[in-house]
Amino acid sequence: MLQSSKSPKEPLQQHQKRQSNLSAWLKVGSIDPEKSVQDHQSLNDQENDSKQEESLEPALSYFATVQDGVSLKKSSALQRHLATVESIALQRGLPPEAFNVLLSTALSGKLADTVSIRLLKSLIPESVVPETSVVSAVSWLCVSKCPSNIQVLFLRWLITVFDFIDHKEDLHALYGFFFFFLQEEKMCPFICHVLYLLTRKENVKPFRVKRLLDLQAKMGMRSHLQALLSLYKLFCPELVSITLPAKTEIYFKDAEGPWKAAIKTIRQRRLENSPVPQPLILGTAQPRPQKRKWNAQLMIPASSTNRSDLEEVREKNTGLYSTDEYFPVELLQTFPQLLQNIHRLEFPSRMGSVLTNPLLLHYMNCTKDESVYLRLHYWLGQTLQEECTWCVVENSQNEEEFRDFLEILCRAQCFLHEGLTPCEEFLYRNLPLWDGLCCRSQILRLVSWIPLNSMYDMKSSLYDPLAQLFSTSSLYFKCSTLESLKRLLQNWLNWQMVHVDSAADSQTLNTTFSGLVNMVAELIHFVGMISTVALRLESNHTFLMYFILDFYETVCDIYLKYNMPLLIMPPAGVFYPVLLAMDPVNLNQLCYIMYRYRANLVAAKENEHSEKEVQQFRFSSETYKEYNQYITAMVGCLWTSNAFQKDTHPQGLRMDDELLNETGVKELKTSFNIVYHPAMIGYAVQFLQQAWPDDTTFNFSLIKGKKWNWYLKYLYAKGLEGLKVFIESSISRVSQASYNKAENMET
Amino acid sequence: MAVFQPFDKLPVLNSATLLLVGSDRGLQQELAKAMLQEKKSFKISIHLATSLPLPSEGDHLRPRIDLIVFMIDVKTKYSLKNVEASLAHVAASFFLGKVCFLVTGVGRVNYCSVEMSSIWKLGEVYCSPVLYCELELERTRVATAQRLLRMLQICAGHVPGVSALTFNFMLRNSY
Repeated sequence: MLQSSKSPKEPLQQHQKRQSNLSAWLKVGSIDPEKSVQDHQSLNDQENDSKQEESLEPALSYFATVQDGVSLKKSSALQRHLATVESIALQRGLPPEAFNVLLSTALSGKLADTVSIRLLKSLIPESVVPETSVVSAVSWLCVSKCPSNIQVLFLRWLITVFDFIDHKEDLHALYGFFFFFLQEEKMCPFICHVLYLLTRKENVKPFRVKRLLDLQAKMGMRSHLQALLSLYKLFCPELVSITLPAKTEIYFKDAEGPWKAAIKTIRQRRLENSPVPQPLILGTAQPRPQKRKWNAQLMIPASSTNRSDLEEVREKNTGLYSTDEYFPVELLQTFPQLLQNIHRLEFPSRMGSVLTNPLLLHYMNCTKDESVYLRLHYWLGQTLQEECTWCVVENSQNEEEFRDFLEILCRAQCFLHEGLTPCEEFLYRNLPLWDGLCCRSQILRLVSWIPLNSMYDMKSSLYDPLAQLFSTSSLYFKCSTLESLKRLLQNWLNWQMVHVDSAADSQTLNTTFSGLVNMVAELIHFVGMISTVALRLESNHTFLMYFILDFYETVCDIYLKYNMPLLIMPPAGVFYPVLLAMDPVNLNQLCYIMYRYRANLVAAKENEHSEKEVQQFRFSSETYKEYNQYITAMVGCLWTSNAFQKDTHPQGLRMDDELLNETGVKELKTSFNIVYHPAMIGYAVQFLQQAWPDDTTFNFSLIKGKKWNWYLKYLYAKGLEGLKVFIESSISRVSQASYNKAENMET
Repeated sequence: MAVFQPFDKLPVLNSATLLLVGSDRGLQQELAKAMLQEKKSFKISIHLATSLPLPSEGDHLRPRIDLIVFMIDVKTKYSLKNVEASLAHVAASFFLGKVCFLVTGVGRVNYCSVEMSSIWKLGEVYCSPVLYCELELERTRVATAQRLLRMLQICAGHVPGVSALTFNFMLRNSY
């Protein structure tokens, strides 16, 4: 790969050296034996490419010197060279040095419009686009030698390759020129887009704002003007006094034109040709030839090619306007540096690079600068939508990259401890279309970062599509979804702890807080419902139960741990299958959860009595009633063997005596407890074998009195901690021996 | 006009029948193949039709249909028209959980010629779930086949405690 990345540079040097000597191009192109041998050895599969690459040079020199008004029909040389440029551009992209010549030719109006358009359309960068070529192209634009459709095409090209331009300082200097073009009606939308990409705080001037407002008054509310104005407003709210609509989905229409797909395929081809994935280039190294893809986006772009240049720029800047001086983010390496320069940081032109840079994420977290978020959100929303692998068939090859990108997003959100709005919107838009397979773990992690203060209706945008996927997908998907919903719940609870504390004195708290509680309650009810269905569908699978109980482990402790007055019992469809489960792990976990429910309810009851001033939230008596019903059933199943008689829950275990008698079980009063429970009977057998090694009759009724206590100790020693805390808290024994006299705690 | 009934025939032990209705034969066959290749615990037979009603002469040979999947391609308006016309030949009791709309081609939203809202409305009016997928991608095709098989299993009554109707309710409304 080293060889291939070198080869485009070679002609560059030759180009510069022998620019004046036309015949030299031909020589180099056709009969340089050394070079072709080298190519042959190193790049077998790119043999064709290197041949074509050699023939680009004559084409370039032809265009550099072509006479005005050569007709495409009459000149076979023009036809040939144009075809060469087009085929090479599509094949492998154009090298940096080609842009100056081709842009000048296309925009100078020397040749017929069709030729210019064809030239512009084939300007596909192989690596970078040199800034000088863009600057000179803009100067051609200013002399208006070409018709407006070509000007527009050039702007669309500029927007598409914006991130490929090697540095943009001079381009920023041309801000005023771009701004002038706003008055051209046809170019206006695209100029707005270019300005949107270029604008910095110092560009926002009163006269510009006035001009934009005038334009808006003349042309009416246009989304592109709105976008630019909202950016201006973010930079200088004091200058833009009009109110702008809060959010527009799409500011700019797709300006990408014919280049995007070509850039993608070239990139794809390169990736295929290189056996090892190319490493991300860090620091100020030259960016690699990737279009608006995240890999390129995620690097901090070099605003100047090397550090000595940067130093120069800085020195110059200090002389001119020392207060406005910015610290280049690519030099930001350590945390102390961040602290020293925190007042003079400017975000890079590629906002995506922020995502992989912890220092900038720190900065983003503490800065109140809305424009930073606006820029990031704009870029992120667009990238996610464009690159989504299941919504755009053409992207299906790039799934791995998309996964990496989502992974980076997940990590950034985790770092920021909050979800990003574009990710949320992306989920809502694309979850219904998701197959539940592609990038599963990343998508589910994105789900867990949906913010609690979301403006969207959770039911229609998240729960409905998720429920559909959930119920038609595999057991593994169900478990992963439950896991991510547990994370979501935890993130919400953590978030409300932080934010409710900080806004404790605000007047509006009451209404918003109860809104938050309702949202959390809605999530818990949703999980209860899908858990019930899932247990049915998967016939009470142990693995599934584990994940469901994991969720309820968070739910049962909301009041004490997260200080939110909310307690929701699991639905009967979850409780009873787990209570009668065949494995001790889940039963033990259920015991622990019920113990925590008890602790929370007791604490709530105590608080109710003690502090009566601010008790707007009370647990309903329904919750207490449900808890007591569950406890009755549990004690009946684990201790008193009377669950079938005593259970009062409408969906519970209660059976009529006649039916019970029909079962033919002799000792009804003693045969369904901690010894006989299907999850426990294994322990009981082991216990019997150890306590009465000679007895082979498996007489479980031997476990009583003192032996009952031994048995309990035996169970605790086996690690059934949940069972221990449950029995110790909820079953008060009148005497140590009379195990069949237990009563449940009334709370 | 022959109206298609869900319960006019007896079920066959340990087997389920799916009817795919859609104007694109190629896609139908691909999907059917993917479903047949999946591992499953019951016998399935898949019937393909471009439109309803089915010809009446083979009626006595046809097994009981447990699930009808109407395929709508977002790229052609005709596919939606075709499905809408076919729906008239399905008995109302089928819509108690034994019908599903499969929207294909969502990977090319740019070429979309059917309005998504009209599909959504169709699902609402006929009380049936709408699934979206892109059958051109092999992975999604396999995933869709698996999802349809799970639905079929439930609609054929092979999952104890879950009826087609409750499942249908689950798919359309989370609660």
